[in-house]
Amino acid sequence: MPSQRMQVTDQDLQYFINTIKSVSKYDFSEYSEKSLKRRLQKILEDYNLDLTSLLTSLRLDKDFLEKVVKEVTVNTTELFRDPPVWHLLRSRILPRFKNNKTINIWHAGCSTGQEVYSMMILLNEMDMLDKAKIFATDLNSDVLEAAKQGVYKYRFNLGYLDNFDKVIKQNPLNFEEYNDVPYEKYFDIDKVRDTITMKKFLTERPIFRKHDLVVDGNIFFAKFDLILCRNVIIYFNYSLQNKVFELFHNNLYPKGLLLLGMHETILGPWASRFERLGQAYIKK
Amino acid sequence: MKAFANMKLAQRIQLTIITLMVVLFAFAGLTLNYFSRTRTISNAIKEANTYIDRLIDITTLIEQKTGKGLSSNDLFELKPYFAKPAFNRTDYPAIISKNGEYLLHATRQGARLPLKTVQEIKTLKSNEGYLNYLDITDDNTEERILVYKYFKPYNAYFTISISPTEVLEQVKTNRRVMIIIVILASLISALVVSLLLKPIAKQLAHLSVRLKQLALGEIPTKVKITDKSELGNLSESLNGLIDGLKSTSEFARQIEQNKLDFEFKPLSKNDQLGMALLQMRESLKRAQQEEAKRKEEDNIRSWINTGLAKFGDILRQNNNNLNLLADSVIQNLVNYLDANQGGIFMFKDYESEKYLELLSAFAYNRKKFLQKTIMLGEGLVGTCAVEKQTIYLKEIPSDYIAITSGLGEATPTSLLIVPLKLEDEIFGVIEIASFNEFAPYQIEFVEKVSESIAATLNSVKNNIRTRELLEQSQQQREEMAAQEEEMRQNMEEMQATQEEMQRKNLELEIITSAINQSLVSCSLNDDGYIIDSNIVMQEMTGYSKIELEGKLLESLIDETQREEFSKLWKSVLNGQSINTTLHLKGNNDRELYLLATLTPGFDPMGLLIKIFLVGHDITESKKLELMTQQQAKEIEKNIKRIKEEQEISSQRQREMETLLKALDQNCLVSIIEPDGLITYINNKNVEVLGDKKSDIENHYLQDIDYTAKNKPKEFERFWKSLHKGIKQTREFSLNVKGEIRWVLENYTPIMDEAGNLYKIINIALDITENKRKEQELNGVIEQLKQQLKK
Repeated sequence: MPSQRMQVTDQDLQYFINTIKSVSKYDFSEYSEKSLKRRLQKILEDYNLDLTSLLTSLRLDKDFLEKVVKEVTVNTTELFRDPPVWHLLRSRILPRFKNNKTINIWHAGCSTGQEVYSMMILLNEMDMLDKAKIFATDLNSDVLEAAKQGVYKYRFNLGYLDNFDKVIKQNPLNFEEYNDVPYEKYFDIDKVRDTITMKKFLTERPIFRKHDLVVDGNIFFAKFDLILCRNVIIYFNYSLQNKVFELFHNNLYPKGLLLLGMHETILGPWASRFERLGQAYIKK
Repeated sequence: MKAFANMKLAQRIQLTIITLMVVLFAFAGLTLNYFSRTRTISNAIKEANTYIDRLIDITTLIEQKTGKGLSSNDLFELKPYFAKPAFNRTDYPAIISKNGEYLLHATRQGARLPLKTVQEIKTLKSNEGYLNYLDITDDNTEERILVYKYFKPYNAYFTISISPTEVLEQVKTNRRVMIIIVILASLISALVVSLLLKPIAKQLAHLSVRLKQLALGEIPTKVKITDKSELGNLSESLNGLIDGLKSTSEFARQIEQNKLDFEFKPLSKNDQLGMALLQMRESLKRAQQEEAKRKEEDNIRSWINTGLAKFGDILRQNNNNLNLLADSVIQNLVNYLDANQGGIFMFKDYESEKYLELLSAFAYNRKKFLQKTIMLGEGLVGTCAVEKQTIYLKEIPSDYIAITSGLGEATPTSLLIVPLKLEDEIFGVIEIASFNEFAPYQIEFVEKVSESIAATLNSVKNNIRTRELLEQSQQQREEMAAQEEEMRQNMEEMQATQEEMQRKNLELEIITSAINQSLVSCSLNDDGYIIDSNIVMQEMTGYSKIELEGKLLESLIDETQREEFSKLWKSVLNGQSINTTLHLKGNNDRELYLLATLTPGFDPMGLLIKIFLVGHDITESKKLELMTQQQAKEIEKNIKRIKEEQEISSQRQREMETLLKALDQNCLVSIIEPDGLITYINNKNVEVLGDKKSDIENHYLQDIDYTAKNKPKEFERFWKSLHKGIKQTREFSLNVKGEIRWVLENYTPIMDEAGNLYKIINIALDITENKRKEQELNGVIEQLKQQLKK
């Protein structure tokens, strides 16, 4: 397969971006070039196509284009991913909203929804789920569908239970504290079918919508107390990152919080518009 | 002819004989008739000739009497002889001339013979004879025979015309008699013939009817035997044949009714049909015996085959569920064998322990088998599994097994234990108990079925295992694919994260390096001790890196600010970022000012790690600021004073203006740039010293000054002092237009804010006259200086 040896050049990438931009509303021009290049490489290898035929197919076949766009996006998430962040949410962030009448939470780039369910579980444990309005968006409609289902592999994701224990059952600030919350309270584990299935009261709550951070802006007629956008901006270049920060800043309530991924930080012009609270950013 | 062919034999004979007789008689009669006619006619002709001869004799006589030739006398004489017919009614003699004219005739005197007849006579050229002619009269035409004789004297013919009909009148009577005789003879012969033939024909008819019936396969009644002729013999044989057929057909009928023991004797040793029937009966008997035997075998075979097919079906269904399969098998097997109970055991090899486990049972109620597992070699079942041989018992220990029904309990009479084996590998055991004995073929059947069951158990086991493995591998494959994709995505995320971090690190490096090049920066722990410091800080404070590390930041802060600082510090520890100006005491009590930002650094959990201090050294500007502040204060003071003095000033304004005017009028004023360029001189200067403005202005002091020209060292000292901001006073005398004038010059350097020389103002006085006003003027100069500075 020649495509395997062919390295995607900058020009190839540009053709790819331009083609997608010309036939759809998707715009990858401000994505991180290196990452996008690797994704393009992967797509070419997976479909065993050369660039020209890929671009032709993209032009002719809308469904194929959607598929490719989905493949471009990276969807990694877990239940209670990075437990320290959830500890922060539990001990420092969410308590700030204890007295709010409502809490608007936006999971931008929710992927397959684990983060959404983690948030709801945590909120429920803190007796705050009732006043929470959960909005979850992603570019990829497939993962959104999976998120709505709330069914995950069990064996492959044994780590979920660990994370659950770390966040919900234990308290890192007080090792003697132990809340014996049964898993069945929130999800059913079927070892034979190898599934973890979220309870209905969780799956029916969030509003899932397809959404492109690059072009769509805020599609909800609301501002937010908390925006989670974890491990998304790493795929964007500096300019797009700043656009996204601006979008988030504009749509946060004063003192609202933005939570980025473990290794994501705001640098640049918008840094001064936020205050830090651990991993989180508070709108000044 | 066809009708004849269809006739009966007797009729045919009768008809033939009668016809033959009639024909023969008729022929004889006709022949006789013909001959008698011919004779009669020739006799008549002869008689006519004789009659003519007599007439000729008479005539000759007459002729002699009357002369020659025919004369009327002759005719008259002759007439009586010719008046009557000769023999019959119409055979009148006649004399006919050569041309055929009747010369003398009883009736036809003067008539003529037909011409044709006349010519015929002529052509005959004979003088006598006869000929046939047609006598044509008015009423009819008749064939007649003309007998003639030439009579020379008369040259005429003597004729008699005979009518054959009249001549033959007698012959006709003969013929009639003869016909009667012929008919009679025919009738008599026919009667005789029919009388002779009748009994034979009758017998033949009888035979014929029977033979016809025989030909149609019927068996006719016997024939009556009337005589011992050939026909009698024939009838007798026919009767024999009929008898034989009767008994043979009866025999055949008996065979047909399957009465193979019927007594039958063949008609003779050579009785083909009888012998054949006997042989047939024998072979039928044999066939029947064989058939019965075969039927039994067939039943067994079909029982076995049906059974095998049935169990084949059973084994094909449910072959993914061992228990269902076993239930179905044992239930059907017991029913099919008409047995009473049964159980199926499966061989298990679990962790090196080998045993048989009851998989399914039908009507099982056996004390021994309350236990569900049997070790190999234990009991009959266990033994069967070890020996891999069928065990068939007809005597069963009474406590071994019991068949329970609603009517009670009984020990079965026979017990069959068959191993389920395939290629000598044991898969289990089947046990069946029955009140009936098992036939060998049933045992054989169970063994055969057992093989199939073993094969199925094997394949089911394999299938289940294979399916499990397949599902497992399928699942694994899917999982692997999903996991691989997830891993790839994780990889991508990690890579993207890493790149992002690299990018950020680069940015941070640039920022850090920019900070380190221009800004003071250090990090502190939460107790306020300096952990790390950059070179800018070290340079600013005058402490080395090592000296700074471990120092309390507070200790560097000027005592006056410490209280304020500790308050700030607390809010920094609370997570606030603080901007402030720190007043520090550096090494050797250097006064330092630092425009600083104190930022707390937290880990992701929000726990404080350290505090960063970044600052800008503003000591210089601070000092300037302080100075400015001081100056501002002073200015303020001055302004105050000015304000206070404003009135005085305004009062003095005029005075001042006057003064200035006076100054301008009385003093020599010149303005010199720091490089010595004289930019301005006033009119008094020109007036006193006599130099033209253009000679002085835009000229360098050092070029035109007397001292500079004559005492350069002194000038240099003077100039340098001015540059240092030190006022210089010079006195010199000058000859102007022959008049010595003393001038006291006051060089006042004016410094800018930075302390550099800005301008030099030289105010010179003509002290020749005004030495005593010097003091007062000095004050005014001071004031002026102040104002200029502003």
